[in-house]
Amino acid sequence: RRSEQPSWDYHAEIQAFSHRVQENFALDLLKTAFVNPCYIESEEARRRQLGLDKDAVALQLQDNAGLAERGLRFARAYLAQCFEGAYPELPAKGIEALVNFLTSQELVSYVAQNLSIQDLALCRDFPAPPDVLQRTFLAVIGALLESSGPERTGIFVRDFFIPQLIGKDLFEIWEVVNPMGLLLEELTKRNISAPEPRITRQLGVSTVLPVYFVGLYCDKKMLAEGPGETLLAAEEEAARVALRKLYGYTENRRPWDYSKPKQGLAAEKAISSN
Amino acid sequence: RYVRQLQRLQLLFSPTAADARGARQFVEEAAQDFARQHPDVVLYVSPHSGPGPAPVLRAEYLNGTVREELIASMTSEEIVQLATKLANQSGLDIIRIRKPFHTDNPSVQGQWHPLTNKPSILTVQGPRLQPQ
Repeated sequence: RRSEQPSWDYHAEIQAFSHRVQENFALDLLKTAFVNPCYIESEEARRRQLGLDKDAVALQLQDNAGLAERGLRFARAYLAQCFEGAYPELPAKGIEALVNFLTSQELVSYVAQNLSIQDLALCRDFPAPPDVLQRTFLAVIGALLESSGPERTGIFVRDFFIPQLIGKDLFEIWEVVNPMGLLLEELTKRNISAPEPRITRQLGVSTVLPVYFVGLYCDKKMLAEGPGETLLAAEEEAARVALRKLYGYTENRRPWDYSKPKQGLAAEKAISSN
Repeated sequence: RYVRQLQRLQLLFSPTAADARGARQFVEEAAQDFARQHPDVVLYVSPHSGPGPAPVLRAEYLNGTVREELIASMTSEEIVQLATKLANQSGLDIIRIRKPFHTDNPSVQGQWHPLTNKPSILTVQGPRLQPQ
């Protein structure tokens, strides 16, 4: 463990962490954010083993469960708000899938490891398991929320979580079983007639690897076109492409806006830079 | 936002050896300025007494790589330059980069595939309609 190797100063490391992330933290909140419940239990067990009297050397550490919960709730609410602003057509299930992916254990623990949280977190096992890292990082977000307010925490969450979506396709994150049914629902909402699938191009029909391009036409105008190995696969792919176009999540959409938010909109946490 | 990839710098030197003179000067004069200019790097100074191993500057990065540089017989300014060079690096391995360019969007209008410019089967080519 790094804290047991030579040259380790916890206070200096925590100060360096707050400078590295370019945020002002209240240091005692940050220190409580790094304390996990398993650490407190292991410390108490160790003290009992060494035979120390419980009242004499009581641990005065609070653990980070409350901060972690507040951080998680804020992060989910803020990310859901961001996505609703950026992709207004996306249904609630899609937004939920995106937010779940961004707050999942692997992603959060990957971000936490690359910010050196695994050295600073106090926990029982080494190396720290991913759920501990996730809880610690969410507690750090909670501590930032308490110290600097929702605006800065929002910018922090945006800067560290949204770049993880770069290069990812919508349907890699959101599992959709029946894209054709979903597409029909979307089109009925917009009062467009049902799509008519037609084969647009085909190559190598009688070989082992045929390629069919199926296009979906609504009122004789092309909605989307998708390739596939068999006719059914091509039709499903065309439905997915159509959904991507409708929700505005194509590959050539405008990239995310990371500029500084305008002042004066902090009243209802509505930040205009979406 | 920019996150500096250097986590901490450990300066191990011995107070009596002759080749650690630059390291001692650096600690006396420039170490405080360096630490003030880089508040997100933790600087540990650990003199080990007596003639020990050669003076070394060990840099630890956020992705775990540890890089050791010998600072024997280097002047204080050279150590400052070396430390700023390490502070601006990232922790990736120093290997030969095969290509100096990389793009995540290799094609803007869509990559060519054998069917790009072939007309679709559905386009109907009939006799031209006479204008009214």
